[in-house]
Amino acid sequence: MRVGIVCPYSFDVPGGVQFHVRDLAEHLISEGHEVSVLAPADDETPVPAYVAAAGRAVPVPYNGSVARVTFGPVSATRTRRWLADGSFDVLHIHEPITPSVAILALWAATGPIVATFHTANLRSRAMQAAYPLVRPLLEKLSARIAVSEDARRTVVEHLGGDAVVIPNGVYVDRFAAAAPRPEWQGTAEAPTVGFLGRIDEPRKGLQVLCRALPRLRAAHPGLRVLVAGRGERDDAVEALGEHAGSVQFLGSVSDDDKAALLRSVDVYVAPQTAGESFGIVLVEALSAGARVVASDLGAFRRVLDGGRLGVLFPTGSADALADAVLGVLADPERADAMAAAGQAGVRRYDWPTVAADVMAVYETVVPSSRFGRGRTRVAEDPRTRGLLGRWRA
Amino acid sequence: MSVLGWDVPSLWFAVVLVLVALSWYLAASASRLDRLHHRVDGARGALENQLLRRATAAGELAASGLLDPATSLLLAGAAAEAVAAGEEAGDRRVVAPTLPWPGPESEAEREMAESNLSRSLRAALDDPALVAALRSDPLGASLVSSLDASCHRVELARRFHNDAVSQARRVRGKWVARWARLAGRAGPLSTFEMDDAPPAAIRG
Repeated sequence: MRVGIVCPYSFDVPGGVQFHVRDLAEHLISEGHEVSVLAPADDETPVPAYVAAAGRAVPVPYNGSVARVTFGPVSATRTRRWLADGSFDVLHIHEPITPSVAILALWAATGPIVATFHTANLRSRAMQAAYPLVRPLLEKLSARIAVSEDARRTVVEHLGGDAVVIPNGVYVDRFAAAAPRPEWQGTAEAPTVGFLGRIDEPRKGLQVLCRALPRLRAAHPGLRVLVAGRGERDDAVEALGEHAGSVQFLGSVSDDDKAALLRSVDVYVAPQTAGESFGIVLVEALSAGARVVASDLGAFRRVLDGGRLGVLFPTGSADALADAVLGVLADPERADAMAAAGQAGVRRYDWPTVAADVMAVYETVVPSSRFGRGRTRVAEDPRTRGLLGRWRA
Repeated sequence: MSVLGWDVPSLWFAVVLVLVALSWYLAASASRLDRLHHRVDGARGALENQLLRRATAAGELAASGLLDPATSLLLAGAAAEAVAAGEEAGDRRVVAPTLPWPGPESEAEREMAESNLSRSLRAALDDPALVAALRSDPLGASLVSSLDASCHRVELARRFHNDAVSQARRVRGKWVARWARLAGRAGPLSTFEMDDAPPAAIRG
């Protein structure tokens, strides 16, 4: 099948949507499909062979943060040319309501179009203002996918209609097969606790773990915390005071090191306080067979199956976090049973499973030639030509 | 009869003279500060009007259908955030009229929303060919010129407001104003800090 995928955010910066698009495209290619990804990029920016550059990525304030996107007449022209040249059987647009190539592609295309909604925290006031503009475009979507129940609820509340939930994918075996690193492995006297995520972003919750550290160290004086993530560490070190020596900052780590870290540590702690729509990091931890302690966010509760695959603690509570970690360290057999159940449970997020679900959606919207009138392909909508492509009748 | 070489009637006269001069000075300072406070209020009102006009112009351009939908979405979102932040600030003023203007936190939010609108406008309209094409359309031409006018007036109104604030602050800082508490219960005065640079291509 010829598949055109549109990613609204530039590949120069890492992000959940970009990783999802990259992994989906590579998986579909490995299964023999022809895939082209349209994403913001300069002609000079190095991109994988399957990525078509849509135009210079511009940082703009959007939905409460800064997004690197592309828009304007040049990008619109490139999007139309990509659609015309690609003659795709299906067009798959990620985050369609983004001021970037995603909405440009939705505008400029006709034919079978699938959209995936990733975000669970859409700013409602901006959405209300934009809704009259985007409603006619949303009507072009043949199928809508949400990556989580939270993302689906956002679609229902803000855009009306419904979406099927197909989770984000993870290459489970890459995590399951990673080799542990001896220097990150703990001992009975000196266990190790892992943390992944930006250090200076409060919603990632490092401060909650730091507040729990005095109690953890009182029970296990040799305990070490391994922190993998970018960001300014001065504030964290200052807040730690006398316990700073027990925390090791690894900085930004590669995918391989992340997998090795999750395989090595005695406990992986996810103290995030908000903003997790899906909780891919927990899926990765479970894939690696880690013993997981996580805050009781909706997305985390769903990944951990209500606490069957890992220990949940009340979000933001350092005392409860300390109790949970000490409980895991005190009863490793029970924690290992949970981790084993976790490794089996995450199979539903494995890319072969997820991609098969996505392919089923494609096959549903692509009309089969058996029902006459030939196949309808994705085509360029001729009404959108010209520098001022008038798009509201 | 004399005290320290002054005769008593002259002494009384001198004391009364000093008191009269002092009260005149106090009254003059108070009315000067009052005038400056009024000027700040007026300038702030004018700034609010211009900011609202600018956000409205950006919203109209977004809704015109003349820009591509990505650019429209960007502008519509930024304009809506700016209008909503302004409304919240206005609401707080109605709820708590003793405070002259909303607290520093919502003010910072406000300044951020307006700066974001400026950045979005520059990102959307930095292409001279696009602006020329908009100007060639009758509706587009009127939208661009009203956006241009409101961007320029925001710059002016903000300059005048901040100028009034710094003058009022200077007078408040004088010893007589602090000693006699001439500012009364009026809240702290702050300048309005935002990125107000307009998109270069729309200057008409």
